[in-house]
Amino acid sequence: MLSAARRALLVALVLLLGCDGAPPSGPGSASPAGAGKVLRVTFQAAETGFDPVAVSDYYSGSVIEAIYDPLLTYDYLARPAKLVPNVTEALPVVTDDGRTYTLRIRKGIHFTPDPAFKGAPRELTAADYAYSFKRFLDPRLRSPYAFLFEGKIVGLDELAAQAKKSGRFDYDARVAGLETPDRYTLRIRLKETDRNFSHVLAFPLTGAVAREVVEAYGDDTASHPVGTGPFLLKDYTRSSRIVLEANPGYRGRIWDFEPGPDPRDSELAARMKGKRLPLIQRVEVSIMEEAQSRWLAFQKQQTDMEYALAELAPNFITADGKLKPEFAARGIRLERSVDPEIIYLYFNVAERIGNQPNPVGGFGAERIALRRAIAMSYNVEDQIRIIRKGQAIRANYPIPPGVAGHDPKYTSYIPYDPRAANALLDKFGYRRGPDGYRARPDGTPLTVRYSSSSTERDRQFDELMKRSLDSIGIRLAIHKGTFSELIKLGHECRIMMKTTAWIADYPDGDNFMQLLYGPNTGQSNSACYRSPEFDRRYEKSRQLPDGPERDRLYREMTRLMEVDAVWLLTDSRYRNVLLHPHVVGFRQHPVLHHAWLYVDMEPVHRN
Amino acid sequence: MLAYVIRRLWQFVPTLLGVMALVFLLFNWIGGDPAYLLAGKIPDPERIENIRRQLGVDQPWYLQFWIFMKQVATADFGVSWATNERVSAIFTTRLGPSLTVLVPMLVISTVLAMAAAMLVAYWRGSLTDRAIMIGCTVGQSISILVYILVFQYVLAYRWGWFPVQGWGSGLAQNLLFYGALPILVGVVVSLAPDIRLYRSFFLEEVSQDYVRTARAKGMSEPRVMWVHVLRNAAIPVVTNVMTQLPGLLVGAFLIERFFSIPGIGREVILAVERSDFPVIKAVTVYVAIATMILNLLADLIYKAVDPRVELK
Repeated sequence: MLSAARRALLVALVLLLGCDGAPPSGPGSASPAGAGKVLRVTFQAAETGFDPVAVSDYYSGSVIEAIYDPLLTYDYLARPAKLVPNVTEALPVVTDDGRTYTLRIRKGIHFTPDPAFKGAPRELTAADYAYSFKRFLDPRLRSPYAFLFEGKIVGLDELAAQAKKSGRFDYDARVAGLETPDRYTLRIRLKETDRNFSHVLAFPLTGAVAREVVEAYGDDTASHPVGTGPFLLKDYTRSSRIVLEANPGYRGRIWDFEPGPDPRDSELAARMKGKRLPLIQRVEVSIMEEAQSRWLAFQKQQTDMEYALAELAPNFITADGKLKPEFAARGIRLERSVDPEIIYLYFNVAERIGNQPNPVGGFGAERIALRRAIAMSYNVEDQIRIIRKGQAIRANYPIPPGVAGHDPKYTSYIPYDPRAANALLDKFGYRRGPDGYRARPDGTPLTVRYSSSSTERDRQFDELMKRSLDSIGIRLAIHKGTFSELIKLGHECRIMMKTTAWIADYPDGDNFMQLLYGPNTGQSNSACYRSPEFDRRYEKSRQLPDGPERDRLYREMTRLMEVDAVWLLTDSRYRNVLLHPHVVGFRQHPVLHHAWLYVDMEPVHRN
Repeated sequence: MLAYVIRRLWQFVPTLLGVMALVFLLFNWIGGDPAYLLAGKIPDPERIENIRRQLGVDQPWYLQFWIFMKQVATADFGVSWATNERVSAIFTTRLGPSLTVLVPMLVISTVLAMAAAMLVAYWRGSLTDRAIMIGCTVGQSISILVYILVFQYVLAYRWGWFPVQGWGSGLAQNLLFYGALPILVGVVVSLAPDIRLYRSFFLEEVSQDYVRTARAKGMSEPRVMWVHVLRNAAIPVVTNVMTQLPGLLVGAFLIERFFSIPGIGREVILAVERSDFPVIKAVTVYVAIATMILNLLADLIYKAVDPRVELK
C-alpha cells in the first residue's frame, strides 16, 4: 500500500512538473492487440551503428536485420536452418558448375520513405544489391565482413585494388561478377565453384541499402538506416535506447511455416498460420549492461523477453534445465536452445613462435603426444559445471548442432583421462623431475604457455588449466593480454595455447571447417595448422553442396585434426530466452538474431 | 592576484603536456592495436594495414603526438573509432544525463554531510558522535557495488519505490523518477566519508582561539557554531567540493551502468573496452583541464573567503 502511494506520488509529481512521459511503457500500456503492441527487449552491450558494412557486433546486427532485407533468409521453423527466398521470387538459380547465381527480385518492394528520396517512392532493384555488395570491399569503409565477398566475385577484388591505389572506390565501374541484366535480375559470377554462396546472400548484413541514402548522409549513414525490412528506426539514443516501428509499407509477408518434428512447432503453426507480418507495432530496445538490472527489469515486467542472463541462469533454471516452478507458475516460459558455436582449446602447431622453439608445435610423435596428453588432462565437464554453471553442452564435433554438416553421432578420439595422459607422456620420454614437473624428452625444462585475458571468467579458465596440467606434471605459465593484443598475437601465430570461440556467421559447416584450413593461417586459423591432407579435403568440400559426400569429408577432416591433436573441442553454450506469457509465437532460430518479425503479443493480465 | 593567475595558467601548459604524454604512452604501449578490434572475425594483414593507415596509428609516434596536440588546441578530437560518432557529440549528448544525477548528488551529499558533521562536532565525544562515527566507518568500508545491488533489489524491485532502471527524455522525469534512486545511492555512498572529513574540519575550528574568545564573550553555542565555526570550516569544504567537480565529467560509471543512464561514465568504459582512443584522449584532456581550472578557482575562492590567505 505504501509503495503504491509513493509511486503514485512520484508519478503525480513528474506529471505536475510537465515532463513528457509517464513511467516506461509497461505491458499494461503496451496495448494488447492491434496497433499498440510494443515489445520491450534489452541488449547487454551498446550497439555501434546501423550501416550494414561497418558493424560486426551482434546487437547492431540485430537492428540491421530488422531494417534491411537480404536477398534470402531462413525458414523460421526448419531445423537445421533452411534457406528460403526473402525479396526474391525463388531461391537462386545456380549454373555454371556452382559459379553463377541468378536471382530475380520481386517487383513492388519499396524502401521506407526518406528525405534522400525527395518525396518519390523508391523501389528496390537488383542494382541496390550490386551497390551494397560493392560497399563491403570499399577500403574506406573498412568492413569487418569484407571476407564474405573477398576473393569470390569476378572483378570485385580488382576494383577494390584500384580503389586502394586511387583512394576512391568507383561504384559506377562495371563489375563482371555483379551484373544486372534488367531492373530486377541480379547475376553473380564467382571465381570458383561455391555451392554454399547462398548463405552469404542470406546474411543479415548483406541487406540492400539505397545509394541515395548513403550519399545523402555520408559518414553518418550509421545512424540513418533506411531499408525495405519489416521495421524502421523511429527513435534512437546512442548506447541507450533504440525504438523500431513496424514499416507501414512492408510487403506483407504471411506467417506460413511448416512445423518440424517438435510438437511445439505444430502448436505454434496452428496459432500463427495466416497472420500478416509483422505482428507487433513497436520494438523498444534498452541497453542494459548489467545482468542484475536485466533480471530485475524482466521480473518487474519492464521488459517482455530476456535473452542474456547466462550468469544468472541458476536463479531460474533447475539442474535438469527446466524453468523453476515459481517462475513457471507466473506463466513465464523458457525457450532453450544451443548456440551455433563451438568453444575450443587450440594448440599452435607451428614449430617456432617467433624465434623460439614451440614446445607444443610440430608433428613429431612426441609433440603430438604432448598436445594429446594436455587435451586428455583437461576436464571439460568441470568447465561446463563450474565456469558455465551448467549452461552448456559438451562439443564433440567442429560443426555445432543446428548447422549443416553437424554429426551428432561422431565420437571424439580425445577422452578425459589423466591417467592415460600421464602414461602417454611417460612413453614418449617426458620424465618427471624432482619437483614433480616433467622435462622434454631431451631433458631440457618444459613450460607451456596458456594465453587469456584478465577478465574474471578467464581467470577461472586459468585455474582449471593449471589444475589439469598439474595432474600430468606439466608446468604452466599464464600469459595475460588485452583483447586486441591476443587477437594480434593469434594472427601472428605467437600464441601457444588459448581457449577461443567461434559462432556461426551462417549455418553451414564450411564456416567452421575453414578455421583449420592452412591458407587461413594468419586470419581465422589461429592454430596455424597446415596439413596437406586436411587442406585437400577442405578444398574438395567447398566444391560440394551440403550432403552425404561433404559430410564424409568433414568427418575425415575432423579425425585428421584429432589425430594431429590440434584442438580440444570443449562446449557450446545454451541460449536461455525467458518470455512473459503475453509474448507468443517465439522460437529461437540458430542464425537469425531475433524473432521480432514473427512474434505476437496477447492481452496482458497483470496481478 | 593577476600575476598569480597568469603564473598558474602558464603552469597549465607543462602539466597538460605531461598528462597528454602519459595517456599517449599508456595507450600505445598497453592499449593494444585497435586495428585488430575493428578488422572483424577474419582479418587479413592487408585489411589490418588499411585500418591502421586510416586511423593514423601507422604514423611515427611524434607525428601522432603532434596530431594529438592539434586536437587539444582545436578541441576537435575527430570521430570515435568504434562508432564514427563525433567525439564532441558524445560529450554533448552524454554529459546531460550524467550531470542530472551527479549535480544533485553532490549538492545533497555536501549539505547533509556538513549538517551532520556540524552536529557531531557540536556533540563531540558523546554517544551520538561515536555511534555516527562508527556508522560512517562501516559505511565507508562497503563497496559502492554492494549499495547499488542492495538498493536496486530492495528499494526498487522488492518495495517498488523506484523504477529498477531506465531513462526518459524529460529533465523532470529523469531527475525525479529515474534519477531518484541513483541519486539516493550516490548520496548514501558519499555521506560516510564526507561526514568524517567535514567533522574533522569543524573540530579543528572548534578548538581555535577565536571560538574560545566568542564563548568567553558570552555568545551562545549555536551562534558560535553557525556564525563563526561554519564560516571558517566552509573553506576546506569548498576546496574538497572543488576537487570533486572534475569527476562530474567522467560520470559515475557503475551507477550509470546499473541504472541504464546514458551518461558519460558508461561511454568512458565503452571507449576503454573498444580501445577507442579519440574518446579516451578527449576525456583525459578535459578532466585534466577541468581539474586545473577548478583547483585555481578553489585557491581564488579560498583567498576571497579568508583574506589572511596569501597567494604565492
